[in-house]
Formats: sequence, C-alpha cells, structure tokens
Amino acid sequence: MNSLRLSLAYLRHKALSTALTVTTFAAGVAMIVVLLLVNAQLQNEFTNNLQGIDLVVGAKGSPMQLILSSVFHLDVPTGNIPLDQAEQLSKHPMVKEAIPLALGDNFRGFRIVGTTTAYPEHYQAKLKTGGRYWKKEMEAVLGAEVASRSGLKPGDTFSGSHGLTMGGEVHAQFPYTVVGVMQPTDSVLDRLILTGKESVWYIHEHHHHDHDDGDGDGDDDDEAGHGSGREITALLISYNSPLAAAGLPRLINKTTSMQAASPAFEMARLNAFMGRGTETVQYFAWFLIALAGFGIFAGLYNAMTERRYDLALMRSFGARPEKLFTLMMAESLVVALIGAALGIVAGHLLVEGISTWLANTKHIHMTGMLFLSEELWILPVSLAVGAVAALLPAIRVYRIDIFKTLVQR
Amino acid sequence: MLEVHQLKAGYQDKVIVELPQLTLGSGEHCLILGDSGSGKTTLLCTLAGLLSPLGGAINLNGQDLAQLQGSALDTFRGRNIGIIYQTLHMVSALSVLENVLLPQYAAGVPQDREKAIGLLEQLGLADKKDQKPSTLSQGQQQRVAIARAAINSPGIIIGDEPTSALDDRACETVMGLLLQLAASSKASLVIATHDQRIKAHFQKSIRVGGAQ
Repeated sequence: MNSLRLSLAYLRHKALSTALTVTTFAAGVAMIVVLLLVNAQLQNEFTNNLQGIDLVVGAKGSPMQLILSSVFHLDVPTGNIPLDQAEQLSKHPMVKEAIPLALGDNFRGFRIVGTTTAYPEHYQAKLKTGGRYWKKEMEAVLGAEVASRSGLKPGDTFSGSHGLTMGGEVHAQFPYTVVGVMQPTDSVLDRLILTGKESVWYIHEHHHHDHDDGDGDGDDDDEAGHGSGREITALLISYNSPLAAAGLPRLINKTTSMQAASPAFEMARLNAFMGRGTETVQYFAWFLIALAGFGIFAGLYNAMTERRYDLALMRSFGARPEKLFTLMMAESLVVALIGAALGIVAGHLLVEGISTWLANTKHIHMTGMLFLSEELWILPVSLAVGAVAALLPAIRVYRIDIFKTLVQR
Repeated sequence: MLEVHQLKAGYQDKVIVELPQLTLGSGEHCLILGDSGSGKTTLLCTLAGLLSPLGGAINLNGQDLAQLQGSALDTFRGRNIGIIYQTLHMVSALSVLENVLLPQYAAGVPQDREKAIGLLEQLGLADKKDQKPSTLSQGQQQRVAIARAAINSPGIIIGDEPTSALDDRACETVMGLLLQLAASSKASLVIATHDQRIKAHFQKSIRVGGAQ
C-alpha cells in the first residue's frame, strides 16, 4: 500500500462521482483536441492549395465563392469567362503564370477539370510510373484519391456526368480514357480528374442541351460557347512582382466583365469568421476543464469532511501531514491524468470519425491519427488544474485536531 | 516499560485528571476505571501521546513523551503505541487487510503483509481479509481494530472501552484474544473501561474521578 494505491482505493470507493469528474474533464480535453486537429488540418489544407496562387479571375459574383470553387473545389463556380479575354490577361507583363480551369462535369462526384499541364506542375505533382499527361482530347489523368477510390488505372475508360455533383446526365457517348495517375500531393489535386481544357469544350460543343440547365453546375453560359468564343471557368494567376497586387485586381475589376479575387484576402476573411466560432468553442472547452477542476475540488473538500476521521486516524498512527497532503494531491492528479488521457484519445477518435464522414463528401481530407506538438501542453495544464483543485482541501490536512476528531464527540 | 510520575492530563490547558504514580513492567497490564465523564479517555489519550501532558512525566521504554514535539511525537507514537479507539474508525474505502496495514503505511515502516495475515488468522478473521469492514459485525470489527493496534509490535496497547459494545460472549472472546496477543508480543495493555465483566482479567487497576 502506498499513497497512490490508497488514492485509487478512495477513488474506487466513490466511483460514481469519480466517473462524473473524469468524464467532464475528458470532455473538455477532447473538445480542445478536436479544435486543435481540425484547425491545424484546415490551415494546412488552405496553405497547401493556395501555394503561389496570388489571384483568381472568374465570372462576376461572390469573390469568396470564386476562391472556394476554383482553388479548393468546394463551392459551385460563379459562371464562365470568355477565353479570349482570359488569354489576353495571361499575357499581361505582371503575370508570371496563368492556369486556366474549365469545369462542368464530374465522375462519381470527383470534378473533371479541363486545364493545362501547368496546373499539376504548379502543385509539384508527379505521375506514377507508367502514366503520362494527356496529349489529345478525351484523355484524363486521375488524382491519387480518385484512382484509389474508383479503382481506375491507365487504359481504363469512364464517362463523366453533367454538373459538379453526382446524379447529372451521363455523357455516355464521350468516354474518357485514363492515361495517368498522379502521386498524392496533399492538395486538392488528389480529388480531381485532370484533362485538357479542349476535352471539356469538345463534349459540350457536341452535346445538345435539351434539359433544364439549372443545377448550378457552373456552365450555365455553355450555350453561348457554341461556335462563337470559347469559355473557361477561372484563371489561377501568379504575379511576376509583388507590385502587381496594387494594380492588377483593380484593373481587371474595372475594365473587364471578369472578377479578380485575392485568395489571401478571402481566406483571411474566412478565418476571421471561423476564428470567432473556434474561439467560442475553445472558451467553452476551457470552461469544461475548469468545471471539472471545480468538481475535483468540491469532491475532495466534501471528502475532507467525511474523511477527517480517516486522516486523523492516520495522523494518530504516525503519518506526517506532508504524507496526507501527498495523498490528497495524488488523488486529484490521478483524476486529472485519467481525464486528460481519455480526452486526448476521445478527441482523436472524434476527428477520425469526422474524417470518415468527410471522406464521403470528397471535399476535405482529414485524419485523427495526427499528433500535434500543441497537444503536449494539455498534460501539464491538466495536472496544474488538478493540483490547484486539490490545494485547499489538502492544506486542511495540516489543521486536523486528532484528539477532537477521534475521541471527543 | 511505562512509568508515569505526577501526571496532569487535560485538554486546552484545563487539567481534568491527575495520576500521581503508575509503573508497568513489560507485559504487565492495567485497567483504568471510572464513570463516564471522569476523565478516563483524557488520561488514556495523554498516555497514548495524542494529548500533551499538562504536567509531570510519562516515560515509555526510556523515552519521555513530554520531550517530544510535533512529527517526532507522531513518529514515536506510530512505532511504539498501539491504539484501539472506542469508536473503531475503520477506513471504509480499504479492505480489512489494508486497514490492518494502515499503521505501517502511516508510520512509514515496511509493510508486513505476512504478519498482518498472521494476526488476522490469530483473531479468526483470515477469510475476511479482502472484505470491506462495513460487511463485518461489530465484534469482528473490534478484532480488526485489535490487529491494527498490534501490527507495529508496540510496547503498549491502549484501548478505550474495547468491549463495551459487545455482548457477553464476544466480550470474552475479544478479551481473550487481546491478552493472548499482548502476551505473545510482550506488550502492556492499558484499558479504560466501566465494563465490570473484564475486571477479572487484570491484577492492577486505577480509578479516576470517582474518589473525589
């Protein structure tokens, strides 16, 4: 028998209130872990996808929607822009690189993006051996996740369906042939099917629209593309010099029918929205931990009243007050430690659960099996909460009057 | 070996009982008699080192208790004096065996499980060692308290009314076990009681309060 085993015996003796305190503590810790993990992975996702893209040009509408739809492939596009205007802009001296994107179809919910090889090159994507990029129309390269989830490999064919979500009309008469599969890039590319922009034009120019095109799929202006000027959905631009940020967006917004949106600015705006929510949840999580600390305190304080006989008894058997102080501390620290450990495990499982759910939406990739250095703080902070909670009850040990407690009534 | 000289016992500077002279050789027992409220318990707690004497000297195995203060007194008491309280004060979170080991834990001496089990066997409680004290009868709990008082092989075992809550048969059993245990470890028993049934077991007795 030692102080630790004695504390455990006391905790077992009042198992129900111990369970309540541990659960509250774990809930607070789990919440903080979820926040840390989700936040870190969202930020990571943002930075990975934003790398080097200074400006996005697309049809007029919500700038946030333009960024979400063309950089992260989360939202529907704002519309299309004329190809000739886009090409003119690409030749602007302040533009280092301009990547065209033409959206319109999907395969099992994975977007088919008509573009140039500049797009995968921008994300430093590498092809798996045995693959190549498209050389002519209706050849496609799959993102790593698309390949693994669909089982398609070079040589296979598939048909896209109209719109950006599942359930649209299938273009069965225009099958794509897979010519390559990309290695994982940790960016949105993993969840895309890339093809030459000519393929997208090819399908929609030969396709006779006799259905209602109101599914918000971003190619509402497709009809106008027939014969006359061709269109793309968006243009991802990298600047030649930082000076471009001062003039180029305004020039585009003022003088053309197109819209220019800065991803950095829009993401800062989005973070500000989300940050407020994250902050609120974070305060709530700390509140829960404080509540659990108070639970430990109340439990020990009450225990001091019930247990003053036991403590006085141990004092009469020769136990120094320091020993009993340690006993009370150990009891609190055990609760904090178990609570923190359970909370960390629960938090990771929760994020893993969220990630399986997210995997089906094909939007954002997340995992619960990620461990952050920030999590290391949780343990010492939890122990500190436990120690503070036990301090006042433990100090009362020094004031026990043995004779009064054990003998006088 | 216990020697008491001109002892004034009391609580919060108020002398309640005086004991001019008492000498107990090793293995010699003594009964403290007196009515309720006569100061038996105060005297007993002073002899046990739970209360500081207000005057006089208590010499136990060559150590004057009045000279010890604070944690030194705690340590000495833990190792040399076994105490059986009138209210038994079992620790309900612990098993019977752990209750017996508690004084060794408290005094910080090595814990001797074999000895604890041996004591419980001697007291007929070996099969109860893993149970909680609350599942035991009053007489059985009384025996656990005896084992607990004896675990550190103290030179003196002090008991406050250890038999008053027991019926005649349990009283005989408990007294018999207590004497047997004291004899085997050569400990002196000092028992405060108003229980007439156990008088016959003691040669020496002192009376407090009543004579005044």
